[in-house]
Amino acid sequence: MISFQNVSKIYYSSVNSYPITALKDVSFIVEPKEFVSIVGRSGAGKTTLVKLLIGEERITEGEIFFRNKNIARIKSNELQKIRKKIGVVYQDYRLLFSKTVYENVSYILEVMGFSDQDIARDVSRILGIVRLRERAKNFPEELSGGEQQRLVIARALVHQPEIVIADEPTGNLDPYNTFEIINLFKKINESGTTVILATHDKRIIDGLAKRVITLEAGRLIRDEQGGKFIL
Amino acid sequence: MFISLKRVFKFAWQGFLRNRVLGLEVMFIMAIAVFLITSLFLFQGISDFLIKEVQEKVDVSVYFKETVREEEILSVERNLYKFSNEIESVEYISREKALENFIEKHKDEPIYLEALQEIGYNPFLPSLNIKARDPSYYAPISNYLNQDSLQGIIERVSFFQNKKVIDKLSSITANVKTVVISLSLILGLLAVLITFNTIKLTIFTSKEEISTMQLVGASNWFIRGPFVIQGIFYGIISVLAVNLLFLIAFAFFSYRLETFFLGFNLLNYFQMNFLSLLWIQIAFAGILAIFSTLLALHKYLKV
Ligand SMILES: Nc1ncnc2c1ncn2[C@@H]1O[C@H](COP(=O)(O)OP(=O)(O)OP(=O)(O)O)[C@@H](O)[C@H]1O
Ligand SMILES: [Mg+2]
Repeated sequence: MISFQNVSKIYYSSVNSYPITALKDVSFIVEPKEFVSIVGRSGAGKTTLVKLLIGEERITEGEIFFRNKNIARIKSNELQKIRKKIGVVYQDYRLLFSKTVYENVSYILEVMGFSDQDIARDVSRILGIVRLRERAKNFPEELSGGEQQRLVIARALVHQPEIVIADEPTGNLDPYNTFEIINLFKKINESGTTVILATHDKRIIDGLAKRVITLEAGRLIRDEQGGKFIL
Repeated sequence: MFISLKRVFKFAWQGFLRNRVLGLEVMFIMAIAVFLITSLFLFQGISDFLIKEVQEKVDVSVYFKETVREEEILSVERNLYKFSNEIESVEYISREKALENFIEKHKDEPIYLEALQEIGYNPFLPSLNIKARDPSYYAPISNYLNQDSLQGIIERVSFFQNKKVIDKLSSITANVKTVVISLSLILGLLAVLITFNTIKLTIFTSKEEISTMQLVGASNWFIRGPFVIQGIFYGIISVLAVNLLFLIAFAFFSYRLETFFLGFNLLNYFQMNFLSLLWIQIAFAGILAIFSTLLALHKYLKV
């Protein structure tokens, strides 16, 4: 479903004159319905990997395929189509601060052209799951850090995407909420959604017993089924 | 398609309601731009009126000697009518009529009337008042009046004394339009630039959201639409505000302005031309809003 082929990413920062290699020669394939965790220390390149996959950053070398479409080569409206099939939990949230909790979640459905009744039903359901229904009319600024994170998760899941990519989705959650969210990911995975989870939370990985890809300084150093969190 | 359009309008309305401070700023600046355009429109009206007024005022007065008989004057008048291309009207003013006019004009100023009393006789000369269609047509008329056969009966032609003024006026007449057009270009450009910058600033504050919207797969038009429509809202409101302001100002000052502008009634002019003015204003504000918004968004909408 997703295939990275010898992908490298070098950031040419405009301020610093020296380039930063964030990913180096990374190759792997994610099959449909898989649950893949990506681990690595801070700065290992996890977020970069996510950004390349959704076409937010340009690939320096190599190729990424979604189904059999080359992400770097397709037209922008094709890319927008693919993006609608992916639900992303951004590490830095990327909430729409001028929209309410409800509208943050409903926006993607409005983009996809759902009817108003369907939107009302789906949004209310997902807000119930992440326990934000009472905050539906609040603005993101009025939420706690953990609540904001749960909102991002709700937004990533509401349109039932084919793939969910979660970049450190539990960084701001207490152990109880973390447990709940990971269970939620497991559940949607069981119902057929592909899940890619980037994290540096050892307890999550060891509890999952699923495939783990380990990055170190931009290189893929380990890729094993039922993998453990080893850095 | 229809549902998208509905949503674009909904987002525009939400943005309009939620960004009141920024919105007020944009509307204020746009109102200034619209005000300028409207002022230029009115200025054009006033200057057209004044030019016409000036052209009408520059007539030639031919004063005849006191002893000249009325028939002789009337025959000159008939001859003048041969210049029907150049001359708009010729009016014969007899000595008695001139006196009447003078008394009528100065009826509230006893000093003049007393002076007249002291003289003891009618000091006015009979005259022909000639109105040319255009100041540049004075040459053939003056040629006619200069011929030797008329020198015996003509006391003086005030045209010759005013020649410099007339020349000057006709050159001003030609230049005023150029000035108006250049001025409108410069001021208009200035107003456009300021409006564009203000709109750019408001969009800059949304730049993170714009990139997020793109990342969830929204098409460019779905993102642009609300901003553009919001801009049009601002434009329409500023047009309405400016017109209201002008109406109030005219209602209060029109009478005073009328005397200032030699009888030009601004309120009347405003009302008579309101529809065409409104078109100009809305087209100007609308195009300004749409182009500024699209241009400002262009930077953030690269996929
Ligand atoms: N826009 C950028 N410009 C320059 N360098 C960048 C940019 N984004 C990331 N980097 C660098 O690339 C490397 C990888 O960053 P990335 O965000 O992918 O790490 P990460 O694995 O997600 O880390 P964390 O666990 O802290 O989120 C880091 O060294 C980072 O400083
Ligand atoms: Mg990261």
